[in-house]
Amino acid sequence: MATIATTDTPRDAAITVVTPPQHKIPLGRVVLYLVLAVAGGVAALPFFWMIFGAFKTGAEIRQIPPSFLPQDWTLDNFRTILGDPELPLSTFYQNSLFVAVMNVVITLFTSSLMGYVFAKYVFRGRDILFWYLMALMMVPPSVLMIPNYLILSKLGLLNNLWGLIVTVAIDPFAILVMRQFIRSLPDEQIESARVDGASEFRIYRSVVLPQVKPALATLGLLTFMFNWNAYLWPLIVLTENEKRTIPVILTWYSTQHAAQLNLVMAASVLMVIPVLVFFLFTQRWIVTGLTLTGGK
Amino acid sequence: MSTETLPRPRATGPHRGRPRGALDAPQRRFRRVVLAPAVLYLALLTLLPLVWVVAMSLFNYSPRREGAGIGGLGGDNPFVGLQNFQQLFDFSGQSQLAETFQTSVKVTLIFAFIVLPLNLLITLPLAVMIESVAQRLRPLLRTVFFMPVLTSAVAVAVIWQYVLNPQYGLANAVITKLTGATTVISWLNDPSLTVLGIPVALIAVTVAYLWMDIGYNLIIFIAALQGIPKSLTEAAVLDGANAYQRFRYVTLPLLKPTIMLTAVLTMISSFQAFDLFQVMTLGGPDNQSRVLSLDIYENAFRFQAMGWAAAESLVLLGIVLLITLIQSRMLRSKWTY
Repeated sequence: MATIATTDTPRDAAITVVTPPQHKIPLGRVVLYLVLAVAGGVAALPFFWMIFGAFKTGAEIRQIPPSFLPQDWTLDNFRTILGDPELPLSTFYQNSLFVAVMNVVITLFTSSLMGYVFAKYVFRGRDILFWYLMALMMVPPSVLMIPNYLILSKLGLLNNLWGLIVTVAIDPFAILVMRQFIRSLPDEQIESARVDGASEFRIYRSVVLPQVKPALATLGLLTFMFNWNAYLWPLIVLTENEKRTIPVILTWYSTQHAAQLNLVMAASVLMVIPVLVFFLFTQRWIVTGLTLTGGK
Repeated sequence: MSTETLPRPRATGPHRGRPRGALDAPQRRFRRVVLAPAVLYLALLTLLPLVWVVAMSLFNYSPRREGAGIGGLGGDNPFVGLQNFQQLFDFSGQSQLAETFQTSVKVTLIFAFIVLPLNLLITLPLAVMIESVAQRLRPLLRTVFFMPVLTSAVAVAVIWQYVLNPQYGLANAVITKLTGATTVISWLNDPSLTVLGIPVALIAVTVAYLWMDIGYNLIIFIAALQGIPKSLTEAAVLDGANAYQRFRYVTLPLLKPTIMLTAVLTMISSFQAFDLFQVMTLGGPDNQSRVLSLDIYENAFRFQAMGWAAAESLVLLGIVLLITLIQSRMLRSKWTY
């Protein structure tokens, strides 16, 4: 994407000063705020519908026509979910957390290391390998999932959380991002560390890594989010409930209790809100990551 | 992404006159230690699967049958050559599998071609609108539209199932309130409901998908808008351009490269949509919302017809590659401003 060079000439400054003052009642502004308020309200509505549903009693949620706000707020749904021996929430949180954190650690390690090699080393076959990785990004998950499933079954990793980890240990997208960042580091720094007798791994760890911390943070968050929300591959690999991650168990629970929407909504709230809050707090980095790279 | 040249080897340099980037023994060792496992990994878990899926598509393979030879291809899982592909494009209606596949391609195309224009028609004006309100309000608005992006697709599907529930859902309740007539529309299950020939179930999932997806393009457009120099729009104001004219003749042309790229990414990801369909409709009613990814998944893992599913997945790969090719052609023409 092209970047635009802002020209701060005196002429520009003059233009900003003479921007005509507005005398009219800004009707356009009113409409603008109104449209945005309505659009924002509509966008937020499904979340409120879920949250309010989680606080309704079983009788109220089956009321026709449905109420919007709960008439008498109840915590019973949450008690039922947390006390359900078939739904040990902490197990599923642990599963999801284990997979997501492991994948973040591994992805950051492999992508920064390979990004460094791709950015700062010249060797035969480098471009071929790099283009192979870029081509891999275009392959839909549905293409690789069938043979990968068979490979996992041969390795005995079906119904095993490690099956969700070994298959994504090298992430082309992450390597691309890291390479871009590391390429912008000055070669002189690396050279002078070499002159000082630092080993290559030492240079990677002490010269390269500290300077790409923002990229690592952004990439780590994106990797965490994609893994935490992943559905298709966990659905295929994990066959027993106690091994399942949050998204898979949420669909299982919602089909099991389709008639008790209040429970399904309470389960959704418990499974969605904590992580959503975490993502909202880290939103700035996620947005940076998504816009910087322009691709998932 | 651009093709860039290798760091240029320089005959004379500040460091021992060695070409920059050329490797010493310890560097070579380091490179080997990093790349050897990576190449091994890529060979085992990406190249092998790619070869395997192509091979599998030439067999009538099911993991249920023992088979013979490498990967169980052979024996009870006989080699059929290009038969799977011939059957995929057999329009005689004799093969149930082929008909389902063709339906799923049709559904996927309809879905992708509804999603793309609607997505852009919503996100582009929305981004411009958000960028033109008071600075203090922008983060809040962005967050509201971005929240669904952060939510797992499964949760989005579960929430929308409740919103669209015929008896207890919000959608029908709102319609009932507005029209006064009790409305019980079975958004996700009634095969007889269509709008302009498009099944309502497919439209319903599309709405949920758009809700989940617009925040993503929105932040990309907002970032692009922030990259446009203020001086340009201000100059347009001086020339007497109104808000629409500024958008149409200043902002829009400047955003064109971003729009193109976003359009392609949106297209590609909508061709691969799976989660919402699997949870909300499971392809129903009567396969009206059966997208290609779902058909592949079901054939491979529910019916264990993996040879067939492999052939289907290669068609999906072909579609994605085709879009990418068209995109790179279009992006090659240069926009300058």
